[in-house]
Amino acid sequence: MSTIPTALQQELQEQRFVLDSGLTVYVKEMPGYDSVYAVYGTRFGSTDRSFSVDGKRVDLPAGVAHYLEHKMFENEEGIDAFELYAETGAAANAYTSFDKTCYIFGASEQKEKSLDILLSFVSKPYFTKETIAKEQGIIGQEIKMYDDSPDWRMMFEAFHCLYHNCPVRDDIAGSVESIAGITPEMLYTCANAFYRPSNMVLSVAGGMTAQQVLDACKRAGLCEKRTGEPEVKRIVTEEPAGICKKESTLTMSVAQPIVGLAYKEKPFETVQERLVGEITCDILTELLIGDTSPLYRRLYDAGLINPGFSGEFLAGSGYLSFIFAGESREPETVVKALKEEIARLRSEGVDEDQFLAIKNVLLGEAVTNLESTEAVATDMSAAHMLGRTRQDEMEALLSLSAKDIEKALETMLQDERSAVVTILPPQK
Amino acid sequence: MERKNLLAGVHLTEIPADKFKRCRITVNFMVKGVRDEATVLALLPMVMGRGFAACPDMTKLSMRLAQLYGASLATDSYTQGANRIVSFAISGIKDAYAPGGEQLTKEYLSLLCETIFRPDIKDDAFDAEAVEVEKNKLRELCESEINDKKIYCMKQARRRFFGDSPAGLERYGYPEEIAAITEKQLCEAWKKLLREAEVEIFVMGTDAVQVEDTLCAELKKIDRCPQETYSMSAAAPREPAYYTEGIDAVQGKVCMLFTAGEVIPVEELPVMRMTAALFGGVPTSRLFMNVREKQSLCYYCSAGYTQINGIMMVNSGVEFDKAEKLTAAVLKEWNCMKEEPVTQKEMDDTRRQLQCAMHAVNDSMSALDNWYSSEVSRGTLITPEEAARQLEQVTAEDVKACMQRFTLSLVYTLTKEGGDA
Repeated sequence: MSTIPTALQQELQEQRFVLDSGLTVYVKEMPGYDSVYAVYGTRFGSTDRSFSVDGKRVDLPAGVAHYLEHKMFENEEGIDAFELYAETGAAANAYTSFDKTCYIFGASEQKEKSLDILLSFVSKPYFTKETIAKEQGIIGQEIKMYDDSPDWRMMFEAFHCLYHNCPVRDDIAGSVESIAGITPEMLYTCANAFYRPSNMVLSVAGGMTAQQVLDACKRAGLCEKRTGEPEVKRIVTEEPAGICKKESTLTMSVAQPIVGLAYKEKPFETVQERLVGEITCDILTELLIGDTSPLYRRLYDAGLINPGFSGEFLAGSGYLSFIFAGESREPETVVKALKEEIARLRSEGVDEDQFLAIKNVLLGEAVTNLESTEAVATDMSAAHMLGRTRQDEMEALLSLSAKDIEKALETMLQDERSAVVTILPPQK
Repeated sequence: MERKNLLAGVHLTEIPADKFKRCRITVNFMVKGVRDEATVLALLPMVMGRGFAACPDMTKLSMRLAQLYGASLATDSYTQGANRIVSFAISGIKDAYAPGGEQLTKEYLSLLCETIFRPDIKDDAFDAEAVEVEKNKLRELCESEINDKKIYCMKQARRRFFGDSPAGLERYGYPEEIAAITEKQLCEAWKKLLREAEVEIFVMGTDAVQVEDTLCAELKKIDRCPQETYSMSAAAPREPAYYTEGIDAVQGKVCMLFTAGEVIPVEELPVMRMTAALFGGVPTSRLFMNVREKQSLCYYCSAGYTQINGIMMVNSGVEFDKAEKLTAAVLKEWNCMKEEPVTQKEMDDTRRQLQCAMHAVNDSMSALDNWYSSEVSRGTLITPEEAARQLEQVTAEDVKACMQRFTLSLVYTLTKEGGDA
């Protein structure tokens, strides 16, 4: 099977427009769906900490992209976007990740008005010292909420071990201290630099036509050519190939130890490399410790891991890493077993049946995502930000072979670039 | 929408799901919650989810599901009010989307039936090794609740409130009882479940007649004698009790339980839905706007109502030293809503948000599944559209009166280590 089946091909077709303002718009009309899901995203995330605007360098404290996300919801009249959405009934939200910020809503009534609200408030930033100060308490509590999450702490402690300088080390929301230094000027600089239509994508899926979406863009002034836009260049932080430290141990209120084995990899450099590389990484983690893997079964039956133990990879500008983590009463035994399994896979090669089964799982996930307005809109925008389409992703998956995985293993998951993080329960 | 009575104590509800790419079959076995059976019935689906007689190997079953494009076979045990449900569900992509043109749906049904009706049992006992492994997993599952402080706080509040009553039985049973469970005891529990449980079948996106025929044929082989389950009942109101527990964490948590002392009848659900949403269920609610936005006390502060036990629960995460202030702020909002009708704008905004969410239910397979599972559990089959229409009749005075039915029963606070349990 190396071509996309017809039924799937039709589902993957989407409409794409590039407006005169530079905004890229994706629309997927889904017959039979009344509701609509919209994503309005910018390529500005927590790791975009250094850049230049018209040649002038800007360095940000941790947490600015996330802070900006919170503050975009308020307009000059002091009205919160949630209040505007309440008039249409739409369920709205926003999120910031390492590499993007997305504003979203789901609506089944007054869909065009909801789209007008989305395109309006994200385009009109308004910040004052007072409104910024008000948010400190709320975001401070958000940061502390995540500080109590063992998974979250595991991920950032692993990044601290792997990376010397890369901003992925810092919490997406920053710290209570780092956000204390955020100013209105800083937020305006970021909004002007990154909330330009040419750096953004609008993605809409469900019961709405492309014409309705384009009309909304027109009403928001997004069909007009922009002039005098600043020249923005991202500055990638220098990062050595080696890791920062081999191990780290934390204490948290958890039931039993949680262990993480993390690997630092060479970041993807091109769109194509990332397209194939991400699927390769996905399959590698499943081969190693997914529920079809012999290692998973051995450790599971020996009582050394539970169903929560899993592997994942995280990729972005200037970083690529794997983290295998979960609860275990014997962290050292699990780490040793994982390293031995990586070595075995490298020497014995990939089991073809297991590889094909995992490939099927990924195909099934891709099909499943086609039934949800949220997944379709999110996937279209995410693919665009990575310079590809959902169809490209499907084709790359279908063309991947077990040999590709074995080739990747020649350079990936090397012991000298690994670190171990252990979270221990407090001693009573 | 139709809920058919197939056999004594066996019903099937077919939920329209033509537009989705997946199909799903769920078979729920419901029995009265019994303290002595809680741990065994928590363990049973964990053991049964590992495999069945024709495929006892857990990894081989995982491989088979993976080959079927990542079909999901879920076995679970949970409480619903004072009842316990042991659930078996399979979902996967429809045949039309199988990249290899495979006939997937027949196999889904077959895997589900093998799991439920022909588990890996020899000499009236489950496999000893499998049982031992899963006993450890269940123990770890019970212990790991402390890892998520928000959930832990809610569970502790619930424990203090319900005590040993049937509605308070633990979803995962009791860790101290796990070791003594035997393979034979589990087998007995499985047989009893098939014999005595009320069975609810939900079918989405696949041939319901085939599911009906197959499951009826299986169930007819069993000498069934379905037993009645508990109907919904609410705990009696009581004087407010305050509990504080010290914990090694960065943020404190507060869980507040408000009780009406009665289950809000189905016909009054529209008022209840509006009341809970106005209090803390939407971003324009009193708790969100006044406690989070105006006072910047927390990142989240929300309220939700559970009809089956008549409880309205408020949850929040807060600085340790501001927990009392937060509790007072929540109570202030509650008192305000009891004393003064909310504004017409608040009513309109909240109604629109709820109606919008209800209209979107038809576009999500999981939302549809949740919606009709809840409807069946309360003995109704109201569509999301009907429920949305019912909200039109709710007035601000209705909301005020509804709020007055509730009293504060319990406040559970997780605070800095050193506090009192």
